[in-house]
Amino acid sequence: MSLKLTRTLRTAALGLCLALLAGLLSGCTGDSGKETIRFTFSKREAIGFMTKLVADYNASQDNTEVILDTSGVDVVSASFVRGNPPDIALANYNMETARFVQRGALSDLSGTQAATRVRKDLQPLMDQYGSYPGRTSALPYSVMASSVIYNKEIFAAHGIEVPRTWSELLAACDALKAAGVTPFYATWKDDWTVAQGWFDYSVGGQLDTLDFFEKLADAGTDVGPDSPASFQKDFEQPVEKMLKLAGSYVNKDAASRGYGDGNLAFSQGKAAMYLQGPWAFSEIAKTAPDLQLGTFPLPMTENPEDLRVRVNVDLAAWIPEESKHKEAARDFLEYLYQPEIIEAYNKSQLGFTPTIDADAAPDPRIEGMVEYYDKGSVYQGPSVLVPRTIPIMNYTQALVLGADPAAMFRTLDADWARLAFRQ
Amino acid sequence: MSTTTATRRGQGRPESRSRRRVEPIFYFFLLPSLVLFTLAITVPGLVGIFFSFTDSIGIGDWEFAGLTNYIAIFSDPAILQSYLFTFGFSIVTVLVVNVIAFLLAVGLTSQIRMKTALRTIFVIPMVVSGIIIAYVFNFLFSNSLPSAGAAAGISWLETSLLANPDLAWIAIVVVTAWQAVPGALLIYIAGLVSIPGDVYEAAEIDGASKFQQLLKITAPLVAGYVVINIILGFKGFLNAYDIIVGLTNGGPGTSTRSIAMTVIAGFNGGDYAYQMANATIFFVVAVLISLLQLSLTRGRNTL
Repeated sequence: MSLKLTRTLRTAALGLCLALLAGLLSGCTGDSGKETIRFTFSKREAIGFMTKLVADYNASQDNTEVILDTSGVDVVSASFVRGNPPDIALANYNMETARFVQRGALSDLSGTQAATRVRKDLQPLMDQYGSYPGRTSALPYSVMASSVIYNKEIFAAHGIEVPRTWSELLAACDALKAAGVTPFYATWKDDWTVAQGWFDYSVGGQLDTLDFFEKLADAGTDVGPDSPASFQKDFEQPVEKMLKLAGSYVNKDAASRGYGDGNLAFSQGKAAMYLQGPWAFSEIAKTAPDLQLGTFPLPMTENPEDLRVRVNVDLAAWIPEESKHKEAARDFLEYLYQPEIIEAYNKSQLGFTPTIDADAAPDPRIEGMVEYYDKGSVYQGPSVLVPRTIPIMNYTQALVLGADPAAMFRTLDADWARLAFRQ
Repeated sequence: MSTTTATRRGQGRPESRSRRRVEPIFYFFLLPSLVLFTLAITVPGLVGIFFSFTDSIGIGDWEFAGLTNYIAIFSDPAILQSYLFTFGFSIVTVLVVNVIAFLLAVGLTSQIRMKTALRTIFVIPMVVSGIIIAYVFNFLFSNSLPSAGAAAGISWLETSLLANPDLAWIAIVVVTAWQAVPGALLIYIAGLVSIPGDVYEAAEIDGASKFQQLLKITAPLVAGYVVINIILGFKGFLNAYDIIVGLTNGGPGTSTRSIAMTVIAGFNGGDYAYQMANATIFFVVAVLISLLQLSLTRGRNTL
């Protein structure tokens, strides 16, 4: 009985294995002759634009089928760990991507056409996140400048000029408040909006962030009250000013509102100023296409010479070393960098095109920042310069919701030292 | 082989009997699970433990770092806080879920109208995905409740519960319980219907009130099910992740970051080895808790 059973079972098992194997093998043969590449792009404001671009590219040639993957940043990081990264990506350039650069997970792009057309003076923005010897690991695709977005109609209605010093800013806020207008619309439910707007504008407007983070990196495990630079020493004053604005001049329900709520409310004229980047314009335009909006750097000192705007490489292009379709991906990269395409993209998203031959015709909404961008009065936000393993966004959210700044910065210093200790 | 079994059969020793009686088919039943479990859980687990002794960020080059990660973890207040939060949250949620589920089960097994319809309604939350529940409740907490509060003139209700660092955990308990009650409820219903009716009859004859019956008969007879629900529930809540992500994403500040969230953050944020060390410690803690629970419940025939 048992012998018979095992034989039947053995046959059955063999059959099962063969069936499974057949299933696996059939997965390998594509149904068309096209080479498929996976293109990661998750900037949600521009997914419509990119979907159309990819469709155009797929229709324009027969060799490559590009598949747009919009599943997001975290999924991409995890895919690297699993050894299955996308074939090409346009992604926010930050400490996150820096890890891939520094450990050599991105392939060299120096031989591409696109690389020769990128503005050389933007290199410091890229190098800030490290580099891998002998490689151009990533190319900037879209540079974004961000500062205060203001409602020109509200400012005009109350006779308020764009403030250029801290006291002018406070005066403007008081005047708006007295007239029954909420000065700032805040969306603290989404922690990133606190970090990139409230925190970065306040700190970047007063502190040389590059210099600060260099000193911090040098101090490593010694970061603390006695090191040349520390969060508790250098951030206390800027954040105090941030908390002054956050405490008196925001909408009452700031803590329960998110980014989407903020865009809608601001488009309805519920506040005069909004601490968001240019990406918010396209969202605001969905409900108020004709609203008159402008931008100005948040004045944090009494000296107008200190006015600066926050910049970041909003999108950079890179091709992972582990991609099995590097050639096809490079062809698509060249397509992305064709002048009419890269310029159309940046125009649609109100970004600055980082190529040498770019035609600069700024949208009126970002005109207020061009002057500062051109003369190099820019800074990178401290929140993007902190490694992501330190939950800086959560920390800044806690600050505006009432946490003790001194204790928070002691925690930050300790986190930094601990990270330096183990990496 | 056959000769040895034949001689041993004569001696009638218990272990020889069991050896002879094992059909190969049983091993065959075990095999797929064993292979899958090893490949999908044991091997990755061991790899993870291995990497906890390195400085790997999940990709690229790495070096051995000895116990560095473990030393750093024990001085990391964020990790400590995530443990405190997760355990506090799990204990409270387990209590809330079991009390509510038990009372509901008593109600739903008694002689009431529309029993089947009501049971169906109460079980619905179980079949909805956690992240969807979390987003719906997120909207309720952030928009509907504050509007209701504003309309009714209740000032403390006007700010979202999720925006309050001291109270956000209550919202998480409420939503988690809402999803977890049906599972526990089903187990309690199964327990309650298995109690024979004659013990109640006897109690009735002896003059016991309904409340006395609940305390003296129902509760002891479903005690085994209580243990099952507490163990299963506690284990599940320690892994809390999706509902928290959808409701607060660990905020406001860092007040509701669970252990699972810190581990995942390391996976996404380039702190792979460090959070693998954290996961290893969590694994050891979980094993200790399981052993404790086993020893506490050993001897109960219901398990």
